[in-house]
Amino acid sequence: MLAQRLIDALGADAVKTAPEDLAVYAFDAYSEGKLPSAVVLPGSTRDVVAAVKIARDCGEPIVPRGAGTGLCGGAIPANGGVVFSFARMNRVLELDARNRRARVQPGLINLDLSKSVAHAGLFYAPDPSSQKVSTIGGNIGTNAGGPHCLSYGTTVNHVLELEIVDENGDVFTTSVDETGYDLTGVLVGSEGTLAIVCSAWVRLMRTPESVRVWLAAFDDVNAASAAVSGIIGAGIIPTALEMMDRVMLPPIEAAFHAGYPTDAAAVLLIENAGFEDEMNAHESQIRDVMKEQGATTWRAARSQAERDALWAGRKGALGATGRIAPNYYIQDVVVPRTKLPQALQAVEDACRPQGIIAGNVFHAGDGNLHPLLMYDRGDRKQVAAVIEAGNQILGAAVDLGGTISGEHGIGYEKRDTLTRIFSTDDLATMARLRDVFDPKRSLNPEKIFPAGVGCAEVQR
Amino acid sequence: MIAEAAQERLAPKTVAQLCEILARCDRERRNVRVEGGKTLSGFGPVLAQADFIVSTTNLHAIITHEYHDLTCSVQSGVRVAQLAAALAKHGQFVPIDVPLSKKATVGGSLASGWPGPRRHLYGRARDFVIGSQVVLADGTLAHAGGMVVKNVSGYDMSKLYIGSFGTLGVFAQLNFKTLPIPRRRRALIAPLPEATRSRAIMQIAALPVIPAAAFCAEGFGKTVDGTDDIDGRVLLYFEGSEELLDRATLEARSALGRAGVPETAIVDTGASESFDRSLNACIANKRGRSITYRSLGLPGTAQERAVLLRDVCNRHELFTDVLFDVMNGDVFVRASERSAERFAAKIALCHAELRALEPRAVIVASDAPIRATFEAWGATPPAIEKMRALKARFDPHGTLNPGRFIGGI
Repeated sequence: MLAQRLIDALGADAVKTAPEDLAVYAFDAYSEGKLPSAVVLPGSTRDVVAAVKIARDCGEPIVPRGAGTGLCGGAIPANGGVVFSFARMNRVLELDARNRRARVQPGLINLDLSKSVAHAGLFYAPDPSSQKVSTIGGNIGTNAGGPHCLSYGTTVNHVLELEIVDENGDVFTTSVDETGYDLTGVLVGSEGTLAIVCSAWVRLMRTPESVRVWLAAFDDVNAASAAVSGIIGAGIIPTALEMMDRVMLPPIEAAFHAGYPTDAAAVLLIENAGFEDEMNAHESQIRDVMKEQGATTWRAARSQAERDALWAGRKGALGATGRIAPNYYIQDVVVPRTKLPQALQAVEDACRPQGIIAGNVFHAGDGNLHPLLMYDRGDRKQVAAVIEAGNQILGAAVDLGGTISGEHGIGYEKRDTLTRIFSTDDLATMARLRDVFDPKRSLNPEKIFPAGVGCAEVQR
Repeated sequence: MIAEAAQERLAPKTVAQLCEILARCDRERRNVRVEGGKTLSGFGPVLAQADFIVSTTNLHAIITHEYHDLTCSVQSGVRVAQLAAALAKHGQFVPIDVPLSKKATVGGSLASGWPGPRRHLYGRARDFVIGSQVVLADGTLAHAGGMVVKNVSGYDMSKLYIGSFGTLGVFAQLNFKTLPIPRRRRALIAPLPEATRSRAIMQIAALPVIPAAAFCAEGFGKTVDGTDDIDGRVLLYFEGSEELLDRATLEARSALGRAGVPETAIVDTGASESFDRSLNACIANKRGRSITYRSLGLPGTAQERAVLLRDVCNRHELFTDVLFDVMNGDVFVRASERSAERFAAKIALCHAELRALEPRAVIVASDAPIRATFEAWGATPPAIEKMRALKARFDPHGTLNPGRFIGGI
């Protein structure tokens, strides 16, 4: 019934119902959900509307999905239902270079957008590490960040207008510059629980005239953390400020030959983009801070190839963990940047007693940590220990005045921990917003909100 | 004015008091008008009398400035200029660009969603809000976000209250991320006769060193450079290091020269005053005899919209002042007359024609008796029904600022 109606509306090639096809869509990069009843691949907003109405009529939940690279289970069909894959809606619809913006479809791959507007001297700033695969729609869902959001801001700062379909199948447009409530602002980062994005006008930025990348190594991780605060404190916000620790350096170097010192306790990767006129001054200021904090190595990339090599190590870091353990679990927490030493110590304290090796590769300038906990999925004891340590790290970040997710989202994984930072009143207030967009909780159910927060509790 | 005097004015000194006041009003079905610095009271519709006026101005504590972390937290009644001065002590700022910043409150500025002219460079004031405490109509104190610069934990509820004109909740406290203050400021001011304007604007939009703000003004008295700029002026306002400003000056002068602009004056001392004057002009009001409209849109259409609106006013033989933002596309047009009587005789037809051409033009400044006769907000946005539903869900009894916002929300 459901399948036939979807096929009638969208065509057979846009609907998947074979069990082996459905199984693929039960997963994302975090975990496995239930087998969906059907997967649709809409080709247009009209297709989305038709499929939403059919799913609604059949009482099926709706799970919008980008590339499935999310690390918190945001794209898994927790209660089954109809998965909406945007793989066929993957085009740049319009480039408006004069006003530095582009209208894109949600299935467009992040990096493809920057590539396709480069000829106009423009780029799309948010650059999650998954950018070769992840989609603009998914990035909008999680309000994705990336190394360069230190100075450019996260996805929400780059979305100007949205075309959305709500759970009822109604189409709306929202814009940041129209008078009225800022629906665009709250839709970004709502993880597909409020509406389905069918197209977006996004802001593009001018390609910087000059880019420099430097590497600084330290034999003490606290000195590296102090250097991070030192740069920011000196009044410089670099475009990216990344840290990698002693656990991560050897496997990354072995995999990418990026030229990282493998005997250092921590390496900072610093990028500054802007105008040639200021670069020398910034470089010497940053170098002075590094020297003051006892940097043992200071290197400037001399060419585009050297810059790319330094970045390749950072962006491929997660893959390199295979040299340490078969599996890794990545946490995503944020602390005030001056609390980095305590936060790194907390990671160590959570992992060492359990015998877990933890590596750190993260957005130091934002205080956004990504501890990588190495384990073997086949060993149940290790799995339990990693989950426990992950929880402890969350708790420590909250205790340090931080938060439980900086850029990956809450999804399925972290929903029950949301109560660590928000009161029942705070969550009930969020639920009021959801009531307006998705009163029946049919859009991406079982995400963000703790399992216990039902309608009864919320409607006070 | 008499009607206002009859309303009881409450200025809670603590957030708990604010919660209590709203909870009680909501329970007793009494409505509330929320006030900050009242700088934008000429913006939007004329309001019916409320049962109470609740002012946030006694919530004026700067709670913390974590300057090593580049974050701060302030109560909503802190004045924008007061916040700027406090942050400047440690060489930082938040780009909250609003008119009359000495008087405007931080909470009111964010609640108004005023689109600042430096947003193309630094981002919107909204993008610097990392957390908030808001009192809802029923007195609930709701927290959103936190004190870290990156946060995707749950919905970013602050976004919903920013630009909501206090119709969904009242800001009690706001947390911001801050930026290092640029070392220097410079304004370049040049005459901009109409014949050179289009070319100059193209050149400005393409400047390699992007100006922090760029205004074209025609009229608005002594707005931009303190002289009477009746024939049009351009103000380029740069912020940055000495090296950058020197380069920006050279490039801007030659770009304007190519467009046929003969001379460009450099203003270093008083550059930020020029910038502030331009911001203030956006709501400058001639008592009883003017209306200022704002039209937001793409930068590429700003001049066209400015000319369109100006010509309507001119056709109705009204005096016209125009200010538009080259980088962001915001257009401000003020129609006025020499006397209230003459103004009253002309404005109704002018307003109707202007609205027909630019349905989204909003009245941002005018005296109450004039505004009372017009719909101030213009055309409703496509998702207005969702907005009404939000109002109903957050403020079911219509306690907060009834009728303040677009579509009668």
